[in-house]
Amino acid sequence: MLLLSRSIRAIHLAAVFRSGAQMDATKMRKTLKFEFSKDNQRRVKALLAWYPKAEWKGALLPLLDIAQRQQGWLSISAVQAVAETIKIDPMEAFEAAQFYTMFFMKPRGKYVVSVCTSTPCKLRGGDEIFEACKKALNLEHGQTTPDMQFTLKEDYCMGACVNAPVLAVNDDMYEDLDEKSLASILADLRNDKLPPAGPRNGRCASEPKGGLTTLKSEPPPPGYMMQKLPDPKTKKCQ
Amino acid sequence: MSALRQVMCRSTASLQLYQANRAAAARWASTASTDGGPLDPKTALARPDELEQRNKLSGKITVPTAVNLSPISGVPEEHLRERRVRIHIPPKNAMQSGTDNVNTWQIEFDNRERWENPLMGWASSGDPLSNMNVQFGSQEEAITFCERNGWRWYVDGAEKPKKERVKNYGINFAWNKRTRVSTK
Amino acid sequence: MIRAPLVKALGALGSPTHQMASRAVRTSAMVAQTPAKAPEKIEVFVDDIPVQVAPGTTVLQAAAQIGVEIPRFCYHERLAVAGNCRMCLVEVEKSPKPVAACAMPVMKGWRIKTNSDLTRKAREGVMEFLLMNHPLDCPICDQGGECDLQDQAMAFGSDRSRFTDINYTGKRAVEDKDIGPLVKTIMTRCIHCTRCVRFASEIAGVDDLGTTGRGNDMQIGTYVEKLFLTELSGNVIDLCPVGALTNKPYSFVARPWEIRKVSSIDVLDAVGSNIVVSTRTNEVLRILPRENEDVNEEWLADKSRFACDGLKRQRLVAPMVRMPNGELQAVEWEGALIAVAKAVKAAGGQIAGISGQLADLEAQVALKDLLNRLGSEVVATEQGFIAGGTDNRANYLLNSTIAGLEEADAVLLVGTNPRYEAPLVNTRLRKAYVHNELQIASIGPKIDLSYDHENLGADAALVKDVCSGAHAFSKVLEGAKKPAIIIGADLLERADGAAIHATVAEYCKKLKKPNWNPFNVLQTNAAQVGALDVGYKAGAQTAVKAQPKVLFLLNADAAKVTREQLPKDCFVVYIGSHGDNGASIADAVLPGAAYTEKQAIYVNTEGRPQQTLPGVSPPGMAREDWKILRALSEVVGKPLPYDNLDELRNRVEDVAPHLTRLGHLEPAGDAGAAGAISKSIGGGPIDLKLKELRDYFMTDAISRASPTMAKCISAVNKQQRENEAKQSVAI
Repeated sequence: MLLLSRSIRAIHLAAVFRSGAQMDATKMRKTLKFEFSKDNQRRVKALLAWYPKAEWKGALLPLLDIAQRQQGWLSISAVQAVAETIKIDPMEAFEAAQFYTMFFMKPRGKYVVSVCTSTPCKLRGGDEIFEACKKALNLEHGQTTPDMQFTLKEDYCMGACVNAPVLAVNDDMYEDLDEKSLASILADLRNDKLPPAGPRNGRCASEPKGGLTTLKSEPPPPGYMMQKLPDPKTKKCQ
Repeated sequence: MSALRQVMCRSTASLQLYQANRAAAARWASTASTDGGPLDPKTALARPDELEQRNKLSGKITVPTAVNLSPISGVPEEHLRERRVRIHIPPKNAMQSGTDNVNTWQIEFDNRERWENPLMGWASSGDPLSNMNVQFGSQEEAITFCERNGWRWYVDGAEKPKKERVKNYGINFAWNKRTRVSTK
Repeated sequence: MIRAPLVKALGALGSPTHQMASRAVRTSAMVAQTPAKAPEKIEVFVDDIPVQVAPGTTVLQAAAQIGVEIPRFCYHERLAVAGNCRMCLVEVEKSPKPVAACAMPVMKGWRIKTNSDLTRKAREGVMEFLLMNHPLDCPICDQGGECDLQDQAMAFGSDRSRFTDINYTGKRAVEDKDIGPLVKTIMTRCIHCTRCVRFASEIAGVDDLGTTGRGNDMQIGTYVEKLFLTELSGNVIDLCPVGALTNKPYSFVARPWEIRKVSSIDVLDAVGSNIVVSTRTNEVLRILPRENEDVNEEWLADKSRFACDGLKRQRLVAPMVRMPNGELQAVEWEGALIAVAKAVKAAGGQIAGISGQLADLEAQVALKDLLNRLGSEVVATEQGFIAGGTDNRANYLLNSTIAGLEEADAVLLVGTNPRYEAPLVNTRLRKAYVHNELQIASIGPKIDLSYDHENLGADAALVKDVCSGAHAFSKVLEGAKKPAIIIGADLLERADGAAIHATVAEYCKKLKKPNWNPFNVLQTNAAQVGALDVGYKAGAQTAVKAQPKVLFLLNADAAKVTREQLPKDCFVVYIGSHGDNGASIADAVLPGAAYTEKQAIYVNTEGRPQQTLPGVSPPGMAREDWKILRALSEVVGKPLPYDNLDELRNRVEDVAPHLTRLGHLEPAGDAGAAGAISKSIGGGPIDLKLKELRDYFMTDAISRASPTMAKCISAVNKQQRENEAKQSVAI
């Protein structure tokens, strides 16, 4: 992990999604060793207790996630360490790790800023948010800042369409954005302060902004609009 | 049929037509009385000379069992005496999965020397039968052919019945068997 | 549109696919409940032709029974069903979608249309998608002319293209991967059928190849720059339907229509794989496998496939005689034969013959006849065997047969590494391991077989333990329906080999089942079984002990005999094709033919005689081995009674009639040498000659002369050095 300091040059991911995976990964392989930290080893053990011994390979994705959280990204040695832990062939682990876009196979910035640009967000200004991010961070899609602080990604729908436009930073989501809130989020992140997640326009979750428009009255009592059925004990109508 | 008619008819075509009509009428008469089922249009509409030819062809032709055409085939003696013919089904090309050319039997002669021609680098050979690869529908036909030509032959590889393999997509996902596929 | 009315007609019964699925469950449940009866055949209609198939047959197999071949890329008979190419889509009546014929089991009464409009459109569509990202490499691609994609595009694809994206994004391009000196990869051409991935995982047992990335960016490779080093790596070249994986030594050499194909047998190991020798202008260009269910299925080991360039190097092309100054000088045939005849006449019957790894049956018979006529009985094989054990055929054969081993359910390997001694026997064991729950144990050093096995240890006393029933694994063997014990031929060369052999043979009498003989010996060279069948004694030392005045080395290159062991005035005659160890100690060298240059019988380790056919003629002044011996017999004055191959084969039939029934396997009865049980086992731990992949590549004269095999060894060494370097780096 100490190797992930500023000494590593920014790796331009755009042209390299197709083919360069192998070149960079192999160079790293010779120099970067991976071992689960003490805490993570306990986590791994606890996780593997969930799976019968013959089905340990089902724990592949969770273990890769733990390894990624420890290292920030997944080096080949990390994937191999995971493969050795659950006793599967390394190639199977590579296949799984390469497949999912949430597994980063190259060093990435501390904060991965993903902006949603799908249709609902687009309608609410998601593209402008993305442009603003690009300008503020001076990055294109997929690139990382030279100080390894930010990686910018243009992502797909994150399922918070009611609160569009949406931005996700690592595990947190910031919704209902506009230029001002975006600027404050990025400023906070630059100073390594994690801003509070959630909608930024004052509302709590995805309730309507101007107050409730439905469900304004008391809920009806039990038995509301129920059929009058005979009491099974007395066989009489109630 | 009356000689007068034969003389009177102007052309052989009309004569034949007349004869056909007569024959057809005779046939109609016979079938009408016995009512032996539907007519075969081929025999009903055939001309008499066609019928005659067909009768000749349907009979068995006797051929003496050991026909040896080698004296008249023009093949030099040494190529009759010393060559052996291999009757086989050509093997399927391992690089492809098509099996269109593995259904016929083929004859092949023993391989003789080829060398590089000094002029163009092509393959020269002194063997006139080097490209004699004839295809047959069955082993017996190939054997008959070799016998007729006077070559010694041997059959390489009997036709084996194809082993029926069980292909089941489900066993890729068997939870307790080693056939569980870990990859593609 | 056809679909709407059909769906409406089925209406409330549920979706058609659901219906078919539930029918499937019912059919299979019914089948499961009646296990004792032979499965009743279901009738389906393929193109309106009724065909009776066993339940569980796929649509593709049902059509194949009729003779209708449905096009496919990813389906292969001997690999698991993948169903990812979608080229096999055919229309089934009343189904809203075309079904993947390779994966869908048939149901009763299905009407399958393999040539309808929907089917044709599906095929055209799949072909269009495949060709969209496929590079226009046909002129430079080695697979051109024998390419599945070319043929199927011609037969099933559309005649015109609508690909205009070439002016915008263009076609996908992928980097080539380096997976070794044998397989050339041009991954741009890959259509991701995953046949190579499945082969590596299921048949070769190495999970090195995989698919990384997804969608358009999917690449097949090893991801970590690992070489694909397994002894069966060349088979992916055959499997790949396009030119993505090609034969590296054969790249850019020839086109398939220029090639002449000769069916032959491989002799570089004892399996006797059926091969096709591809030649052009009297040169052997490549070797491909031929299908033989009983021997090699459709696979071919790497040494057999790639060592053919050793046929051009180190060849003996002229007869040579050693001059007084110690050098071998090329002479005419007359001179050489006269020199040998002089020595033979002077020897007065003290002659011996040693037959080596690549000696063919006819030459062995001729040599024995010649030596018998000259008054000598000493003919031996170079590879040793137990003394007195060669009388009973079952003592030295793989009695369970190669095809039979795939039905075994417990196997004990004693002093043998089938992975590198006979890779195609190992594939059968692996097949049994995957499909038949085979349990394997080995006695010997720790080896990496391509499947999980238990190593009981290397102590020779373990043999006694297992065979007396005392070991845990004996229970496994005794409880199995088809147990097998495989002894390595090299183990039987030891001093206690006879004891081991007898112990195991005795135990196998107990394990014997009707129609199943569990006693097996895995030979390592192609000439051994034939020689022993024809009456040769075993062991080069038998010949050396006789201290002959003339020694005939028939392809004997394993360096088991040195000049020092022989008397000073011994005249050594070497008859063989390559200038290897045998020729270097010889006084007269008579050049013979290699296995691709002669019509000869070789008997494989199960005892199956098969014949090689000449694809090219022997180079220079070399002649076929038996002809040399016939000529020699003439000069010596004791002419052999055969002048052509037919007469010689008649003589072979006199000696051993089963050997002229080519391709036919003669069952051998019970194993067991008489009276050897009293000897005790004890001779140190059991060791193997071929432990790693590195040892596999150069085991006989032809492979030692091959530059491709040398490249393989250096690749293995390089890979190992890299692995060691990586492990030693610590952060």
